[in-house]
Amino acid sequence: MTKPNTGEIDPQESARQELRSYGIGFVASLLLTVGAFAAALSDLPTVWKIIAICAAALLQIVTHMRNFLHLSFSVEQSREDLLLVLFSAMLLAIMAGGTWYIMSDLGGRMHGNSHEDRSTSLP
Amino acid sequence: MSADISPIFGKLDWSVTPYTDLLREVNSSTIVGAGAASVLVLGAIAAVALLTWMRWWGPLYRNWLTSADAKKIGIMYIALALVMMARGIIEGFVIRTHQSTALGTLTQPESGLVSPDHFAQLFSTHGTIMIFFVAMPLLIGLINFVLPQQLGARDMAFPVLNQVSLGLTAAGAGLVMISLLVGKFGTGGWTMYPPYTGIDYSPGEGVDYWLWAILISGVGSTLTGMNFAVTIFKERAPGMHFMRMPLFCWTSLCVAIMLIYAMPALTVSSGMLALDRYAGSHFFTNEAGGNMMNYANIFWMFGHPEVYILILPAFGVFSEISSTFSGKRLYGYTSLVIASMSIAVISFTVWLHHFFTMGQSAGVNIAFGIATMVIGIPTGVKIYDWMATMWRGRIRVTAPIVYLTGFFLLFVIGGLSGIILANPSIDYQVHNSTFLVAHFHNVIIPGVLYGMLAGIHYWFPKAFGFRLDEDWGRRTALLFVGGFVFTFLPLYVLGLMGLPRRSPTFQNPDFMPWMYIASFGAVLMLCALASLAWTFWTSYRNRLALAVPGGDPWNGSSLEWSTPAPVPEWTFPHIPHVAARDDWGECKRSGDPWKAPQDYVDIEMPANTAHGLLIAATASALGFAMVWHIWWLAALSFLAIPALLAWRGMQVIEPRIVPAGEVEEADRRFRTMMADLAPATRADEETERNRGRPDLSEFAG
Ligand code: HEM
Ligand SMILES: [Cu+2]
Repeated sequence: MTKPNTGEIDPQESARQELRSYGIGFVASLLLTVGAFAAALSDLPTVWKIIAICAAALLQIVTHMRNFLHLSFSVEQSREDLLLVLFSAMLLAIMAGGTWYIMSDLGGRMHGNSHEDRSTSLP
Repeated sequence: MSADISPIFGKLDWSVTPYTDLLREVNSSTIVGAGAASVLVLGAIAAVALLTWMRWWGPLYRNWLTSADAKKIGIMYIALALVMMARGIIEGFVIRTHQSTALGTLTQPESGLVSPDHFAQLFSTHGTIMIFFVAMPLLIGLINFVLPQQLGARDMAFPVLNQVSLGLTAAGAGLVMISLLVGKFGTGGWTMYPPYTGIDYSPGEGVDYWLWAILISGVGSTLTGMNFAVTIFKERAPGMHFMRMPLFCWTSLCVAIMLIYAMPALTVSSGMLALDRYAGSHFFTNEAGGNMMNYANIFWMFGHPEVYILILPAFGVFSEISSTFSGKRLYGYTSLVIASMSIAVISFTVWLHHFFTMGQSAGVNIAFGIATMVIGIPTGVKIYDWMATMWRGRIRVTAPIVYLTGFFLLFVIGGLSGIILANPSIDYQVHNSTFLVAHFHNVIIPGVLYGMLAGIHYWFPKAFGFRLDEDWGRRTALLFVGGFVFTFLPLYVLGLMGLPRRSPTFQNPDFMPWMYIASFGAVLMLCALASLAWTFWTSYRNRLALAVPGGDPWNGSSLEWSTPAPVPEWTFPHIPHVAARDDWGECKRSGDPWKAPQDYVDIEMPANTAHGLLIAATASALGFAMVWHIWWLAALSFLAIPALLAWRGMQVIEPRIVPAGEVEEADRRFRTMMADLAPATRADEETERNRGRPDLSEFAG
């Protein structure tokens, strides 16, 4: 049997700490979401907007994994969790990579070689 | 429908029902539309009247709608699916009838039973209903009923979440049903590709009905997937290692994983389309940087795994019944496990084969074409495993075995036509023709439909305590097989002759003979539906003769057959300790399997709650309000959902305790009755002598 790692709130002393961790996660996610929207609405150059949004997204993923899914690099982490994370990463890579592959090919054929800047046709 | 929006009723007014269409113009199309709406209204009135007359509202509410028991939730899923299936099959019949009257001429191109717009609604609702509200609830229902029993678990990991998932699925189904009476459904097929379904080309409410039905039920299915996965990871009985799980549990695990990773893609593509339609964004529009090709891309990232979500539970069922009804152990357990898992993973790498002709370069097509063909290998392995399981077995030709045989014969044809279509250069010739329609019905009907109906027949006695009539079961199965052959094999020919799918009309008289054959098949399908209904009814009337209180009518080998039929809500008086694969079969081999447990303890069951029902009601209101732009209701119900969650979260909820005494009494009663039952041999299986206690000397599984 694997160790329970669901982070159930038990009524004793750990409950406070658990709640704190969830609270921090929630506030951080909220700020990162608002930040992304703010970046999109601001008048930064497009490249910076994209960088800011991507950074906010990555940070938010980390927050979710740490504060909500209770994943960490400590040795107590169970092997099953690691496998699940790797499996998810693989499927997401297939989906994102496949989309990139397909849509850039389509974009390239739509605009032909005359169009140097293909990035406009990317998803 | 008027253009201005009333603050109270949104875009709703009296002109949206099919009756107004009928008053405006009487023709066969409006008559069919009004007829369908009337069936819905009369059906609803009849159901309400029956419930009131029999005073069933109370029991319905207390025992079913508020129950968090996975077995009951499973049964409700299946009931929902069967109702929707009746509509889906009838629609299939109407589509076929229309096409056999749709031969147009160059001067008068439009003819036939229904108008082109109505025809488009028919195939769109048919496809949407069959995939999302028949196939999905059938398999989710069956897994809900069977999985905890096979794992030796009391319930799902999250019983109330399970109830919520059912509620969301039912809300989606309800929206599709309402669209018969109020307004129109979309005309973009079950895939609803933009830009046609964007606001510019489909301004009405139709696409929105589809969007909200899909968004709402999709969330339900994602949650279900998580529930199944956690149940399998955390709730197995002690000793139930992964490699001891029955194959149905393995395929359920694959389904769970695929639901978790595939459903969000559908939610994303539908959500983006909804933003295009409601918020004026440009994800998939023609102008302003939109890219409609990305819709097909994201949709099929969900869509292909979806078809394996549909088929894998059926593979699980076939694994169970091929072994049970030939009295042999399942051949190649490990290879079946590996094959199921490979199918689950590979199915995420092939989605592009649904749009080979969209314009990407040949290299991309070939990569995905090869991946598609690879998936045929594990599927082939499975077919051989089941045949080897039955080889030299003492096969009893029960209804599930008739389905299995039909599946063997027909699914292989469908699979092979799939391999043909996986070749991009061939796909260029036949894509979007009825060849494709024949192909996917050829895998979906023998696979999903036969598998689920076989599973229902197989586990029915566990749920209700009596078997289904075998003769009628076999007749139904044969009608479904024959109906399939006549309806869909002609479509291969028609496709090769050049008939595009979704054609409201055509001008080639050579099509007609094949059209008539296909329509005859659709009549057989209607007969099969009637025969299925009759099977349930006649078995219910003969329930005393068909009763199997012993709970093991087929001499099975997995845990669920160790309990009485109907199975008590706590399933096991004592959570079993599993010592082998097919543990119940091992118990049978080592002497008396029906020994009473040493002691009895209090059992905790999830308390009944109306939470799922309330969420379903708010979600339906949200969907309906969004479709009709009734903003106040939309805002209200949108806020009500988190409010309900928070409200439930703040309550202290005690589980319901079944006292040890009650369990003990019921269990002792079962054991004494068991001791009095005469064992039934294999030859007696279909007779009244089968009371659910099999002859153990014959057990060989
Ligand atoms: C039982 C009898 C059935 C009949 C008579 C039937 C008939 C049809 C017909 C005539 C079409 C339209 C073909 C065209 O576009 O030219 C169709 C489409 C379709 N059917 Fe069925 N069908 C049946 C069962 C099923 C089942 C069990 C499923 C799935 C679980 C299913 C899924 C679909 C889908 C997804 C479409 C495509 C809809 C679209 O074009 O968007 N059908 N069916
Ligand atoms: Cu596919």
